[in-house]
Amino acid sequence: MQETVQVEQQSLICTGCGCLCDDLDVTLAQGQLQEVANVCLWGLSRFFPTKRLHPKKERHRLLEPLSRLNGRLQEVPYTTALEQAAQILGQARRPLIYGLTNTGSWAQEAALQLARKIKARLEPADLAFKAPYYHSLRKHGLYWAPLEVIRDEADTVLFWGANPLHTCPRHLVRYSVFARGRYTERGVEDRQVAAVDLYQTEMAKFCQLLVQIEPGQELSLLQGIGAHLPGGSGVKPAVKGARKLAKFLSQAEFGVIFFGRGATYNQGLAVLDALGGLAARLGEKQTWALFPLSGDFNSQGLYHLLLNELGAPEAPDFGHEGGVLTSSTPVDFHEFDAILVLGADLFWFLPEDQALALQKRQVPVVSMSPFANRTTSCAQVVLPTALAGLEAAEVAYRMDGLPLVLKKLLPTALPADRDILLDLIQAM
Amino acid sequence: MNIKITGGRLYDPAQGLDGVQQDLFIKGDRIVSSLQKPDRVISAAGRVVVPGGIDLRGQVATYGLNFLRLWNGFPSLEDLGRLYAAAGYTHVHEPFLTLYTAGYVHRQLAAIPLVDTSASLVLNLRDLDNYLKSLDQLEEVAQTLKSLQEKTRSLDFRLLEPFVRYRQSFYSHRTLDTAKTLEALTRLAREFDLRFTLEASPEVLELPCPEPRAFHLAVLGRAVTDDRLLELALARLAEGVSADLGFESPIAATPLDGKPVKIDLGGYYPLDLNPAAGDLLPALRLALAHQGPGLAFSLGGPVRNPLKEFPPLFSWLCDRRARPLVDAQALPDREFSLMDWVWATRTLPAKILGLGDRGHLAPGARADVALFELPPEIPPASWAKYFGQCHTLLKAGETVIENYELVAPKTPKATYYRRRGAKEGPLLSEICQYRSIRPENLWVPEELGRAWVGLD
Repeated sequence: MQETVQVEQQSLICTGCGCLCDDLDVTLAQGQLQEVANVCLWGLSRFFPTKRLHPKKERHRLLEPLSRLNGRLQEVPYTTALEQAAQILGQARRPLIYGLTNTGSWAQEAALQLARKIKARLEPADLAFKAPYYHSLRKHGLYWAPLEVIRDEADTVLFWGANPLHTCPRHLVRYSVFARGRYTERGVEDRQVAAVDLYQTEMAKFCQLLVQIEPGQELSLLQGIGAHLPGGSGVKPAVKGARKLAKFLSQAEFGVIFFGRGATYNQGLAVLDALGGLAARLGEKQTWALFPLSGDFNSQGLYHLLLNELGAPEAPDFGHEGGVLTSSTPVDFHEFDAILVLGADLFWFLPEDQALALQKRQVPVVSMSPFANRTTSCAQVVLPTALAGLEAAEVAYRMDGLPLVLKKLLPTALPADRDILLDLIQAM
Repeated sequence: MNIKITGGRLYDPAQGLDGVQQDLFIKGDRIVSSLQKPDRVISAAGRVVVPGGIDLRGQVATYGLNFLRLWNGFPSLEDLGRLYAAAGYTHVHEPFLTLYTAGYVHRQLAAIPLVDTSASLVLNLRDLDNYLKSLDQLEEVAQTLKSLQEKTRSLDFRLLEPFVRYRQSFYSHRTLDTAKTLEALTRLAREFDLRFTLEASPEVLELPCPEPRAFHLAVLGRAVTDDRLLELALARLAEGVSADLGFESPIAATPLDGKPVKIDLGGYYPLDLNPAAGDLLPALRLALAHQGPGLAFSLGGPVRNPLKEFPPLFSWLCDRRARPLVDAQALPDREFSLMDWVWATRTLPAKILGLGDRGHLAPGARADVALFELPPEIPPASWAKYFGQCHTLLKAGETVIENYELVAPKTPKATYYRRRGAKEGPLLSEICQYRSIRPENLWVPEELGRAWVGLD
């Protein structure tokens, strides 16, 4: 007799990036994920352990806690790994908790609790990207619209130092360019789209205007745009494309500037200041929003938490006498003698000299991750975690700050990020 | 626990108790008429005993409000809960929850400790424009509104824009003016037992209100910018419309220096979180001119610190000598009594929100009781000092504040919403089809809030 296989269809929220696409349809059979529909490669890499840029290459899933002994990572029981992690962090004079932009909000809350307890600095992985943005808001004010409204109403979209095809692939089809909004019913035909980038990216295929600049020309371009907006000085711009961009921007009824990490690579603070000033100036006559494109799936949740709890979307440092200090300057790793990394791959982004310096000083790293990565390979203790939104329930904030509940669909023996953090708090 | 509060002066307009020295008995979470053996006796000698405060318009969790913390003017949600409790409040009602920000608002509300919470669903009439125009499918509209209310876990309906306008001229054929909109809303209220809170404006005041009890006018003080509008507002109140005052905050604004902080919730106008500083006097004039039961106390903008913002306003209401000197002579010669104050901050807000067991001290009411140190000899001019902080606060019979100290920081709290049991119709699907979020994720799940209480 043939055995019948129970097949179940479920709707799922993708944790591939900050879009948190909620239209994924998954097929489950015998407690296993069989198929995922409507998913992009980023999402795929979360649900089937494949490499982000190479979907045919498998990513190693961590299933057992590991501890470094005689230079090699060896499997240990969870309690042993937890004790060692607690010891490392508890004995540290200056501990650092790093990452968190790819973890759920419950885990972020627990990490903040842990940071308070061990008097650590908590460093969001994308601080260098977000801090200049918040600095710009402080100076120029804010017009904020959720993606829902942008999708419905934005008729002019500018991407600055951002390539959504590489950071949040479905952003273009769900919200910003090709999406058929309520009052932009013809999708891309109802929108003007432009991009400013150092490279001739794929965006050129659908942008009416792509201004390619050299590194360091960002501020000159922004000045040039300002000069050619109505009421500007009209001085001939030093960078090609400024005049066209000024014309493009001034035709908007409802515009949005999406900026990516590219905007902050070179003189980030000044570029975001100028972009914020541009949005504010344009906003005097039309509706203009400045919007960060967060690649990590819950970056917005972390800054939201920090604003809620500490009043500053910066890195809080509980290791100072007389209270918490917050800093918008990315961390100087030389200060720290133990690091807990979760929701990020620190050693992937760290410049080689800094990574070597950490290794040379033998700074112990505790890594929590569902997958093996560069940080886990350098860590003293590795605690594997359940995948948020598939194996563990969580809450995450879409890049426009709207929270969504991530469901648990698959059983796992692995603990969730939050559970490990609470265990660590208890163990110290 | 069984508690006896003894020796206090009770103020409860619902029962006509005007400073009557009387014992109050609490059994579990309810007020009872008598008690055999109290476990605890609280002495309230020299104190006034009033129901727990209810902030009818506590703008504390609006989508985007968090950004105001960038300018250091806002306490954390944890602190906000403590400040409300210290001021003698047990319930805060957030005015701005929309269809797609419902989850956000509820998650914020859940993070506010100590006080119960609820929220108004802000209707975007663009979703209903053709239905309101034709008026022949109002039952479908009513069912949909009820369904939306339950799914977003909101307590009532609010209209920021009682009209339909589009930014795009292409859609101008779908516009609906305020008169026509109010006519449709009146029919909805009459025929389907609905009630709407309208953010007041001169335009709304100019129009007739054939069904006064169907509407609550929010932030009425802001709309009363001249004598004629004051007359119109008083006429509406006399007809039976309820309203809240919407005072401007009496404390200095955050250091925003006029920078724009605007949140686009998908309406015709964005929500302005940093409006230009307004005038306090219109709301004060309205409050003193209206002698009836229709006006509740409220702040017009985001609440930053109830301990600092509310007491000066209370003292201006209660004592003419405490009022701002500029134009003070133009104000009606009236002072609020303690009964008026309790009515405006407790009894009426509870009635408006439909919280039947709050806002009064009758047997059966939930034991939300605030004790303020206010010896009888203290003149109203000094009341602000005494109203600022409550001596003792009980919430559902549990002592939260005692001798001005927070003693139960983990007091249970809940978020209240209206259960309607309405059917989902085609209009609901039509509304959902324009969203970027699937309906099942649009509706507020259990996990985004804390201890839900559905009211029937």
